[in-house]
Amino acid sequence: MSASLADLGPGARARVAAVEGGGGLMLRLLEMGFVPGTVVTLVKRAPFGDPLEFQVRGCHVSLRAAEAGCIRTVPA
Amino acid sequence: MSVTRPLRAALAGNPNVGKTSLFNELTGSRHKVGNYAGVTVETREGAVAGRWQPTRPLVIVDLPGTYSLTPVSEDEAVAFRCLHGEVGEPPDLVVLVVDAANLARNLYLAMQLCELGLPLVLALNMMDVAAEAGVPVDAEALSRALGVPVVPTVARTGAGVAELVASVGRFGHEPWDMSEVRGRLMTATLPAMGKMGELAEVGPARARWLLAAQAGGTLELTGATQAERAALSGLDAAAVVTAAGELVIARYAEVDRVLAEIGHRGGERAPAMDRSARIDRVLTHRVWGLLIFVLVMASLFQSIFSWAEPLMGVIEAGITWLSAHTKALLGPGLFTDLVTEGVIAGVGNVLVFVPQIALLFLFIGLLEDTGYMARAAFLIDRLMARVGLHGKAFVPLLSGYACAIPAILGTRTISSFRDRLVTIMMIPFMSCSARLPVYVLLISALFDGEARVGPFSQASLVLLLMYALSTVSALAVGAIYKRTLLRSPTPPLVLELPPYRLPRLRDTLLHVYDRTADFVRDAGTVILAMTVVLWALLSFPRPPEAQAPHDAIAVRESAIGYSIGGRVGKAMEPALEPMGQDFRMGIAILGSFAAREVFVSTLGLVYGIEADDEDNVPLRDALRDAKQPDGQRRYSSLSALALMVFFVYACQCMSTLAVVRRETRSWRWPLLMFTSMTALAYVAAVLVFQVGRLLGYG
Repeated sequence: MSASLADLGPGARARVAAVEGGGGLMLRLLEMGFVPGTVVTLVKRAPFGDPLEFQVRGCHVSLRAAEAGCIRTVPA
Repeated sequence: MSVTRPLRAALAGNPNVGKTSLFNELTGSRHKVGNYAGVTVETREGAVAGRWQPTRPLVIVDLPGTYSLTPVSEDEAVAFRCLHGEVGEPPDLVVLVVDAANLARNLYLAMQLCELGLPLVLALNMMDVAAEAGVPVDAEALSRALGVPVVPTVARTGAGVAELVASVGRFGHEPWDMSEVRGRLMTATLPAMGKMGELAEVGPARARWLLAAQAGGTLELTGATQAERAALSGLDAAAVVTAAGELVIARYAEVDRVLAEIGHRGGERAPAMDRSARIDRVLTHRVWGLLIFVLVMASLFQSIFSWAEPLMGVIEAGITWLSAHTKALLGPGLFTDLVTEGVIAGVGNVLVFVPQIALLFLFIGLLEDTGYMARAAFLIDRLMARVGLHGKAFVPLLSGYACAIPAILGTRTISSFRDRLVTIMMIPFMSCSARLPVYVLLISALFDGEARVGPFSQASLVLLLMYALSTVSALAVGAIYKRTLLRSPTPPLVLELPPYRLPRLRDTLLHVYDRTADFVRDAGTVILAMTVVLWALLSFPRPPEAQAPHDAIAVRESAIGYSIGGRVGKAMEPALEPMGQDFRMGIAILGSFAAREVFVSTLGLVYGIEADDEDNVPLRDALRDAKQPDGQRRYSSLSALALMVFFVYACQCMSTLAVVRRETRSWRWPLLMFTSMTALAYVAAVLVFQVGRLLGYG
C-alpha cells in the first residue's frame, strides 16, 4: 500500500497521486485543490491528534486523518 | 431586453473572499432577505446604490458563498439552480468575487461558471493583500487570458467598486469572449462526458452538474427530472465517479494554464497565510490554543447567559409598565385581560429573546469574520466527530445552555441540512437558563438545605446532576438520530482555515440585524399567537360569580382551576400520580409551555400567591408545608426530583417549537420534537419516582 497524506509528519511535503474513496468526499477533496500532481504540506495536527492542517494551492485546509487517508501520495 | 427590467447580476464567490462586504458596498447596505422555496438557504438581493452612478438599473443577487457549484451541499445546489434560472429570475450575468491573493483555488469556480456559459465579470478583490504578500496580479493579463473584464477591488474600503459597476453596466455593449477558455474546458471534459451517452441531451453544463451529483450521491439536492434520473441510473456507477473526478482535474488543469499564461507565481505557497500561520502557533497550540478556546467559549456563553440579562430586564419592565398602564386605561374586564395577558405578554415573549439572539449572532459573526470560528471547529472536531457531527456544531450546542432559541438560529453555520437537523433536535435537551428558576424553586422548597455530601451541599449536587443529565442526554439523542432517522455519515471536515482578518463591524451588525428582524417577523408571529391561545386556555371558561368563594386566595385557585387548562390538569391527575405529582403541578406544567420559568408564576396562581422567578420565598414555603388530607406532606424530595427530571427532558417551550418550524420549514420536526421529548420526560420522571419509592425514598 502506498503512502497517504495521513502519514505525513509536521512540515513534510508530498505530491498527490490519486484521490480514492469515491462519492461526495472524493469530489470535495479534489475541488478543494487536492488534484493529482499538487504538492501538499502538513502544517500541524490539532491538539487531540486529529484533524490535520494542510497547505494546498495557496490555502490552509483542515482534514480528518480518515479523509487525508483517501489521498494517495508520492514523494514530492 | 425591455427598458423597465433592470439588469440582474448574480454575485458569486468562495467563502471568506469579502463577498459580503462587496455586496453591502454595492447596495449601500439596503437589501431584502429572502429564502428560496423549500430550502433554508438565505438569499439577499438589492439594487446598486445611486452613489456608484450606475448607467442603468442594476440588481445584485447574492449567492451563497461556495467553493464550487458541484452540489455536495444545499448551498452549492442553490447557487447552481439560481444561476441556471431554475429558481427565481435568471441572472443576466455573474460577478465573481475572487481573492487576488489566492487565485490558484479561487479560479476553479470561474471555470465552472465558464462552463455554464453565463457572461462573467471578475472582481479581483483584496488586491492590497495580494500586493503586500508579494503575489501581485496583472489584472489586464488575467482579463486577456480569461476573455472577461477583470476589475481590481478592495471591498473593505470601496476601492474599485465604481469601476466594477461601470464594467457591469457595459454588459451587452462590449464584446466579451470566453469562448476560448470555454472551448478548451469543454474539449478537455469531453472524453469524460463522452462515456455518458444520452446525458449529453440535457445541455452540457447541466449534464456535468448532474453527473457530479450522481457521483457524490446527492442527486436529491438537484431537483433532477424523471428523464434525467432515468438517464443517470443507466450509467455504470464506477464510470460516473471516474468521469466526475476527471471533470475536476480538467478544470484545475485549465486554472494552471491560465496562471502560467499570466506569469503568476502563486501556486503551492500560501503567502497571504504567513501572518495567520504565526498567529496559529498560539491559537491552535496544543496548550495555549485549548486554553484560549475555553476562554472564548466561556465569554460567548457568559454574554448570552448574563450580559443579555439587564437588557431582558429592561424589556420585561417595559412590558410590565405597558401592561399596567393599559389596564389602568381600559379598566378591568375580559378585553383588558386579552390585551394585557394575551397580546402584550405575547409581544413580550417575542422581544425578550432579542438581546440573546442579537448577542449570539454578534459573537458568531465576529468569530466567523475574523477566521477564528474555523479554528474553533478545528480544535474541537475530534470530540464532535464522536457524536457524528461537524466541529461547527459546537457553538450552537453550547449556546443551548443559555437559550435554545438563538442556539437553533445559530445552526445555520452548519452546511449539511441533515446535520443541522440533528443539532436542532439536540439543542432543546441542553439545560437552558429558563429551567434554572424551576430547579431553584423545587430544590429550595423540597430538599434539605443543610444536608451535605462531602464538601458539597446536597442542593448544589442535585443541580449539577440536572446539568450533567441534560448534557449526556443531548449527546446520546444526537448519536441516536445520526444512526436512525437522520442517518448520514459523519460529515467530512474539509474545512478551510482562512487568513485572520479584522472584521468590518458594519457588515457584522447588518447580519445581526437581518437575523434578529427575521426572528421577530417570522417566529415572533407564531409565538404571539400561541401566547394568546395559552392565555385563553387558562382563562376560559370563567367561574360563575355566584359560586366564587369570598376569600381572595380561593377565588384565584378556582379561577384557574375552572378554566379549560385547569380541567385538563385535573383530568391528567391519574397520569401525573405515577410521577409523584398532583393536578396543581399539572396545571403549572401546562402553563409552563409558554416558557419554562412561567411554571413558577402559574404554580403561584394555583396556590393564590404572587410569585415570580426572582422572589419565590412564599411559594417555596407553601410547597414545603402543603399537606394531603391525611396529614402527609404533599410533595417530597423524590417527587421534586422526578419533576426536575421531567423538566430536563420535556420540550416545555412553544418558542422553541416556533423557531424549529421556521428553520426546518415544516411542522413535522417540531411535532416530532414535542411528542418524543414529552414522552421521554414522562417515562423518565415515572421511572425516577417509582424506582425511588421502591428503594424506600420519599
